[in-house]
Parts: sequence; structure tokens; C-alpha cells
Amino acid sequence: MAMLEIQNVSKSFGGLSAITDLGFSVHEGEIISVIGPNGAGKTTLFNLITGVYQPDNGDVYFEGRSLVGRSPDQIVGRGIARTFQNLRLFTNLSVLDNVLIPQHHKIRSNWLSAVLRTPGYMRKEREIHETALEKLSFFGPRLMSFRLHQPVLNLSYANRRRTEMARAMATGAKLLLLDEPSAGMNPKETTEITQIIRRMRDEGGYTILLVEHKMNLVGEISDRVVVLDYGEKIAEGSYREVVANPKVIEAYLGKKASETEGGSDADEGSVIR
Amino acid sequence: MPQDRTVRNALLTVAGLALLAIVLYLVQEQGGTKLQQVFALFAIWGTAAVSLNLINGTTGILSLGHHGFMLLGGYTTALLILPELNRERIATSARSLMNEFTLSLSVENWASKLGLEALAAPEALWLRFIVAMFIGGLVAAAFGLLVGIPSLRLRGDYLAIVTFGFGEIIRLLASTDMLSSFTNGSLGYTGVPGLVGKSLWWTFGVLAITVFFMSRLKFSSYGRALQGIREDEVAAQAMGINLAYNKVLAFTLSAFFAGVAGGLYVSWLSSARLDSFLFFLTFYFLVAVSVGGTGSVTGTLMGTALVVFVLQYGDPLEQTYPLTTWVFAGGVLLALAALGTFVYRGTLRLRPRLNAAVYLLAALALLTVIVSYVGPSFDWLQGDFRAFGLRRIFLAVLLIVIMVFRPSGVLGRAEFSWAWLLRERRDEPTDEERAQDDWMHKAAAPVGGDEPRAAAHPLLELGAKDEDNGAGGEIDARSNRAGRTQSDEGRET
Amino acid sequence: MQTERRRRLTLSRLAPWLIGAAVIVAIMARIVFLVTQRDYNPSFFAGAMLQSLQLGSLYALIALGYTMVYGIIRLINFAHGEVFMVGAFISYYIFSRTPYAITWALMVAALSAFGLMYVVSLWRGRLTDPVVLGAGLLGFLSLTLTLSSSQLGWIAALLLSMLMTGVIGILLDRVAYRPLRGAPRISLLITAIAMSFFLQNAGVLAFTGNVTAYRPETSWTQTMQLQFAGGTIYASRVVILVLLLTIVLVVILNLFVTRTRLGKAMRASAQDPEVAQMMGIDVNRVIATTFLLGSMLAAAAGVLWGLSYGTLSQPAVMGLLPGIKAFAAAVVGGIGSLPGAVIGGLLLGFMENFFTALIPGVTQYRDTFAFALLILVLLVRPSGIVGEDLSEKV
Repeated sequence: MAMLEIQNVSKSFGGLSAITDLGFSVHEGEIISVIGPNGAGKTTLFNLITGVYQPDNGDVYFEGRSLVGRSPDQIVGRGIARTFQNLRLFTNLSVLDNVLIPQHHKIRSNWLSAVLRTPGYMRKEREIHETALEKLSFFGPRLMSFRLHQPVLNLSYANRRRTEMARAMATGAKLLLLDEPSAGMNPKETTEITQIIRRMRDEGGYTILLVEHKMNLVGEISDRVVVLDYGEKIAEGSYREVVANPKVIEAYLGKKASETEGGSDADEGSVIR
Repeated sequence: MPQDRTVRNALLTVAGLALLAIVLYLVQEQGGTKLQQVFALFAIWGTAAVSLNLINGTTGILSLGHHGFMLLGGYTTALLILPELNRERIATSARSLMNEFTLSLSVENWASKLGLEALAAPEALWLRFIVAMFIGGLVAAAFGLLVGIPSLRLRGDYLAIVTFGFGEIIRLLASTDMLSSFTNGSLGYTGVPGLVGKSLWWTFGVLAITVFFMSRLKFSSYGRALQGIREDEVAAQAMGINLAYNKVLAFTLSAFFAGVAGGLYVSWLSSARLDSFLFFLTFYFLVAVSVGGTGSVTGTLMGTALVVFVLQYGDPLEQTYPLTTWVFAGGVLLALAALGTFVYRGTLRLRPRLNAAVYLLAALALLTVIVSYVGPSFDWLQGDFRAFGLRRIFLAVLLIVIMVFRPSGVLGRAEFSWAWLLRERRDEPTDEERAQDDWMHKAAAPVGGDEPRAAAHPLLELGAKDEDNGAGGEIDARSNRAGRTQSDEGRET
Repeated sequence: MQTERRRRLTLSRLAPWLIGAAVIVAIMARIVFLVTQRDYNPSFFAGAMLQSLQLGSLYALIALGYTMVYGIIRLINFAHGEVFMVGAFISYYIFSRTPYAITWALMVAALSAFGLMYVVSLWRGRLTDPVVLGAGLLGFLSLTLTLSSSQLGWIAALLLSMLMTGVIGILLDRVAYRPLRGAPRISLLITAIAMSFFLQNAGVLAFTGNVTAYRPETSWTQTMQLQFAGGTIYASRVVILVLLLTIVLVVILNLFVTRTRLGKAMRASAQDPEVAQMMGIDVNRVIATTFLLGSMLAAAAGVLWGLSYGTLSQPAVMGLLPGIKAFAAAVVGGIGSLPGAVIGGLLLGFMENFFTALIPGVTQYRDTFAFALLILVLLVRPSGIVGEDLSEKV
């Protein structure tokens, strides 16, 4: 039984179809990459899963229950968390607060016991602090120690990306949706993020669905790859199968290649390889 | 020596509170009426401003309807506590629209009906007042719930206008025939007992409770959730924060304390009138919150102190002076503006520092000062002038200046701390940081219980080679600290 | 990316429409009731219609300022109602002294003409530009003529008040809003509120703390009698002036926005200020123009307000209610849209007037009604009747 089932989902914006009849599934413990040229509907797909948009047609099942009609915060409660393509951290708050906020939904005590600091609330508060430190330590020392109390706006770009991933993990989700986790990172950091994603699965037990442009990262860690073009799934399979697929090559390098790839840092060479 | 500092800070805090208590005692027992009034007003407005800070500062929603919440709380309290004598006067008045039922609404009546003789006794007026104030807070909170609901659909400036509209509607409706049976229309209530609102112990007690509540809330998980909403609503929702619940919660809690402050305010004024609850009340609180520090409870209190001081002791500004004095004051202001521009250009490293604007302002200042000295020899500069409303103008200008030059207020979002006051540099890691560093280096010491993952940190080595973030292999807080970081002191973990 | 609203027909979605329908039904029932009464008089409706048009035109003039400023810098210019107040009082002080002695008229006209030339030269570049010279000459001649005339004083008051208030509008932007370009919109709104508070109290200081009778010498304030459907309508002649002037100003504004370079730059900036700046448009100048035009229209509304109602309430409160109602009108029409502001203004004038004229005993709810309408429109359809959705994009 698949963890996440996307069944014939369609979504259009004012007559412009962003996702058409899309279906695939994610099994527990997998790392699935969604790739495709810019504007292929990858981020729309994430927004559909996390409840930011509602699908026009079709259904999304997570652990056997439909997610359609649920609000984003309810979906987090079910166990899906995401990162954003262009970072949406709580910039004026400290790194620690950024990782504590996603755990707020775990707190069952009401506001009055939070103000009175009842033992039950304090126990939970300690717990979420420990979880926060644990998730941050996933990234080594660089988010710890004095950085914990620094506002996020003092962090480097790469550290912000890391904080955002730690934040998504802290929600207690089982499925993480990572929207271009390596965007804006240099090759060394990309290698590191690749390892982190793998460790998230191997050590953290997370199932991961990611959108990525860097093909070497995708090739290295994905169990399966889903290729989107103009909102339609044009290929699915292992990385090697997919990159050999003539449809995929056409989508990336076909007559529209110069427009669709403009500005992105996708490694086109690796598609042909 | 972080240990010593903790002790020192605690001692300083205790000493500060003791000093405050002594000052309050002296003012209550020895001080003049004016001084007592000013102190009580500070506590009452402080309560309201701190509650406004929960919406405006912590949650980041500009709410402009606070005077409406205060009106509800104030009128409810006044109606429930009004002495029998004043009720009879209203009942016999021909202009009043109040009826039998509304005039019978009083804590005293309820207490004697329920057989609570102790509560109905004349000595227990203060207790009845507390009950009435609490009910007033609840009425305001109920309305806060209603006002909070639009925040689910609207954001930013539109929401601000809607809250403003609600605040004004309360006031406008209160004067109509429909609600005059409760509010006594434009006549309002006179003779509200002043024993609570004029007593420093009661007002400061309520303020202390409010400050305690609000700061505890701010540093709890709920406060963090609200701050998350302020920073980025979409991200907060994507991180599992229920926007609807939390926003409405903020409005409701804030309205409750505003209602309580309204109850104190009518007691301080000894009357409940519609023109005591105009929009300018909200404006003053907005000044207090913005000047002190949006989101900072202690900053809001500082701002309130400033506002109350200007309004209560600023009457020399509004007295009659000869015209030449005004011209002279204008010259001084112009000179200050010239100096300010000069300093401002200096701090921004703009060159030349003495630009045309500085020269122009300085020349105008000189000219004005000269005119003020030779003024008496001209006809048109003889006579007096009285500048009504200069205090309000001063507050408005202050708010504009703060918004332009320091939009987050004096304290910003941080709370007051001794380290901030003493301009302390934090050169040494805190105990907490030391503990974490130890934990990081002892790779096999899991804090998070029996998590096997915490034991192995292969990335510790990877991070050690990674120089670009400045983290380095050796975690040395000293080398990376950017000057003083003030936020830690006031924040309990 | 915006969190999508689920389209469900819940009570909370329907409630505003139900309220609206109930109000309309109540008004209709009242009209039917009046019609069936024996003393029914169609001229009653015609009179109410005229008054509504008058009030609506005034709201429309003020609303245009709100909508233009919001369209460009996304600021609810809370101080706009006070700008209207300032315009009304400036015109009062000029008006109440007419007719001027010819020497004074010449001096004031010359000074104002120079001011006008300076303002125009900000856009034309040089003082010797023919347009600038022409504007100066025209201003000088018309002001000299009207200031010294006993009947045409209102023209001078109108022109001078518009000019001076326009400059105040530019100053408002320069001093309070321009330093905050790029700041969070909430900071900008707080500044606008502070500015409104400042102008209210500065108005008390500079003008008066009392209610002022606005009864200068002009034949416009005389009453006229019109025969209509067997009845007589008594209306002030100023109705004609209000309608004519509103039409003229709106037409000029429309021509300016659609035909001139600056007007096109304005529309471009409203679309996207950053891109407009990159296309070589001086956005700060465009914004200053917007404030100038908006304040001039507000000043015109102020003059007409004084002529129409004969009194100016005290400066601290005068701007508030007309300002809020005009803002409501701008929102109803669709904020950011010029025709929307006019439609919204007229609509609000009609609703307010008919509401109070038809249903006895609701006069005390007149102001409440405006606030309620504002809240309702913001909640139900923030984009207004003709406007695009300008609410905050995530």
C-alpha cells in the first residue's frame, strides 16, 4: 500500500491547465524526484498535495485517507511537511524558534496552561526543545550553539536552506516535500545536501518527494523519477530509464529548449549522459 | 562570568521591583492628587497598550478598534457598579431612555438575589468592582471574537480598516436609540466609584497581571505561533499553525484586557461618556506600541510612560505666550532640524555633510531668531498666541519620525534587559551554549533520549572542512559573535 | 501563491448577501408604501435624487484621491479626509474676504501665478516653457479677475484652494510617505494615520476650533424652485455647480491620465512601479503628481461641500466621516479604478440619502451605515464592482 497516492489529479488556473490527469504513488521509505522543465507544474503539484490549492479533479490519498478539502495545517498534522522553493523562513525569529514553531501543533494544552506553565505543558515544551535540537544537529554544528539564538536573517543562504529543512523535519512529518533543496548552493554544498537527504531517509526514516533541477543530485539519490511536462506525466521510472526516454530528451532539449531552460541551473549535460 | 550575571540580573530585577513598590507607596501616601492620577493613568493605559501589543506587535495585525473594546468594557463595568443613588437619578430623568430592566443590572442586585450578603455589603464594593470589571472584560472579549473573524479573510491594511470600522461602529451604535437603554445615550453615566481606578495598588496590580500574562504568552508556544503568523502567514500555515484559531485567540485575549482597562478607565474618570472613547485613544496606544518597540511588552510600557507624560505634563506647551516666543521656538526647531540633517548625513556617510538643505535650514533658523528679537518693534508680531493641541501634534510628529527612522521602535522586538541597559557585550558563551558545544563534541551523548541517530554525526567531519560559513571545526562562539546580542537575556528557554 | 478559498455555500458566505437583499427589500417595500399613500408626491423622489447626486459627486471627488494613491503605492491614505478639510478651510479664508481690493487681488494673483508656474515647471522642466508661461498668465488673469469680483469669488477660492492643497498633498508625500518607500505597508499606514492626526490638530491650530459658517457672497447658494410632476422641488442652485464641476474635473482627469505622457506613466507605475522605474519613469515624480491631483480634487470637493451645506464642522472632525465614506465609495467601486471611484461615490451618495429619506428614524444610523457598508464590501468583495483584485498578493 502506497503512502501517498496521487490519482488523476487535474488543476487549471483560469482555463490554463497546470496539471492534467496526473497520477503516481510514493511508497514508504522512497526518495522520489519530480523533474521537468520550468513551468511544468512541479510546484503546483506540491501546492496541491499540501492543501494550498485544491485539485479540480482527482484525489490525493495519504495513508489511505483523502487530503482533498483539508487545509494546509491539517495536512501537516497528518504527517506531510514541505520546504519552499524561495525560502519562507520566519526571518526575524531565531533559528531555534523557527524549529519550535512547526511543533506547536503537537502541543495539546490550551493557552491558559501555557501561560500558567502547568507541568504538563512544560514537559511538552521540553520535549519539543529536545526535538528541535535533535533536528538541527542533523546538519552538524552550523545551526547549533550561538547560532541557535541568532535571527535567521543573519544566516548565510545555505544555512537558511538547512534551517528550512530542519523546520520541515520538526513538524513530525513522515513525508517531506522538498522544493529544490539545492537551489543557490555551490557544488560542495550540493554534495552535502545530497548526503543529508539520503541520511534523512536512512537514519530519519522519512519518505521524500523532491523537486530538483540539478540532475546529478537527482541521479544520485532517487529511487524513482517522475518527469512532468506541461502538467502531464511523460515518464516515470528509474533515473537511467527516464533519461534515456526520447520524450524526456525532447522536453528538455527539443525545439523549445532555449526558452524553457532559460535561467535555471539544470545540468543539461547529465540528461544526455 | 555568566553565572554571576544571572545572579546580578536577578538582584537588579528584585531591586527594581522593590524600588517601584516604594515609589508607589510614597506616591499613594504622600504624593499630590495630580501625581497619583498620572501614575494610575499610566497603569490603565499601560494595560490597554500592552493588550494592543498582542495584536499589533506579536501577531503583526494592525488593529485600530481598541477604543471600541475599551468602551464595551468600560460601559459594562460602569453599568454594573453604578451606585443606587445615581440609578435613581437616571430613572427620574426625562431625557434618559433606560428602562426598569437595564437599571436593575448591577452586581449588587445579583449578589443580594443570590444571597451572597458578603458581596452585597457596602464594604465589599471593591470586590463587586472586580467582578464587574471581569464581566466587562468578557463582554469585550466576546466582541473581540467577532472582530477577529474578518482576520481570516483579510490581511494588512484592509483588515486594519475593518477593525477601525468596528471600533467606530461600537461607538456610533452606543449613541443610538437602540442601545441607549443600556448606555444612557449621550448622557452616559456619572458617579462611577473611583476606589479602584484611582488606587495605585489596584491599577498597578492589574497592569502587573497583564504584563505577566502577556510576557508569559509571548514566550510560550502560543506566542511563538503568533510570531510565526506575523513573519509569514503562508509558511506558518504550512508548518501546521491553525491561522484561524490563533488569530481569533489573539483578538479575543487582547480585547479582554482592553475591556478590563476600560473598566479601570471609567473608574479613573468617575464617568462613562462616549467622547472618552474616541479613536485618539487607540492612536495613543499605537504611539506607545510603535515608539517603545512593536512586539515588546516592556517597550510598550516605556512608550506608554512617554505618552502619558507628554499628555499630562505637556500643558506648558499649550499656554498663552507672546508671539515672539513662538517665533523664537520655531527658530530653535529649525536649528535643531539643521543639526539633525547634518548628523543624519554624517551617519549615512553622505557628502557633503553641509548640503544646501542644511544651509537653508540654518539660515532660516537664524532669520527667525533675529525676527523674534526685533519682533516687538513690529505691529504684527505683538500679541499672544495659544497653541491648542500642540501635545497631540507632538505625538503625531513623534510617531511619524519613529516610523521613518526606526520603524521597529526603540527596543524593537526584544524585551528590556539589564544587559541592554548596561550596554553589555556578550563575549563569552552562555551556559546553555557551553552545554550544547559539549554535546556536539561528545558525539555519543544523546540529549534527545535514546535516539540512535544523535550518536553518529558523520557530518561533523564534513562540516569541519567547510569553511564558507565561518562555523569552522572548532565551535568558538567568541570568534563569530557579532558584537552584543541582546535578545538572549530577556528570553527564558 | 495564495491559499485557495474553498467554494462552499456556508451561512457565513451567504449572510452578507442576505443582509443586502433584506435592505433592498426594505427600501422597495417602503417605496411601495409611500407610493400607495395618498400624499404621495413624485417630486419628493426627484428632490432626493438631486440631493443624492450632489452628495455622491462630492464623495466621488474625494474617492478619486483615495483610489489614485492606492493604485500607485498601495497606501490607504488615511489623511486624505483631512486634506479635504484643509482644502475647505483654505477656500473659506480666501472666500470670506472677497471681493479683494484691486491692489491686493493683483498681488495675490501674481504670487499664486508664480506658485502655479513653479508647480507646472516641475513637470515641464523650464520656467520659460510655453506651457508654464501660459499656465502662469492664465492663472494670473483669472485670479485677478475673480478675486476682485463680487460674484465670481468662488472661482478664485476654488483655484487657489486647489493649488495650495495640491502643494500640501505633495508635501505630505515628500515628508511622510516618500521616506518609507519599500517599507512594510503597515508602517506606511501607521504613518498615514499619524499624518491624519497631525492635520486634524494642526487644522484646529491654524484655522479654528469652532464650527464655521460658510456663507460667502455668491448667487450659487440661492434656492431655486423646479416644477416637477405636479410638485415643486426646492433645491439649492449649487447642485448644478456641483454636478457641472464634477463632470468637468473627472473629464479633465480622464484626459490627463489617458492622453498625456505623465498620465500614461502614472498608469504604468500603477501596474508595476519597479518595472516602470526600469523603463525610465521617475516614479517619485509620478507619485507626487498623484498626490497633487488627488489633493486638488479633494480641495474642489471641500469648496463644493462648503457651498452645498453652508457650514464646516470643526477641523478635528470634519475630514473623518466624509473621508471614510469616500474611502468606502472607492472600495465599493473597486479601488485603483477611476471610473469605479465615481460609480462608487454616486452609489454611496444614493444609498445614504435614500436610506435616510425613505425610512424614518434611521437618520441616527447614517454614519453606522457607511462603516457597515465598508466592512461588508471589504469582506465580501474586496475587489469592488469594476476593480481587479488588488488585495495583498502572497
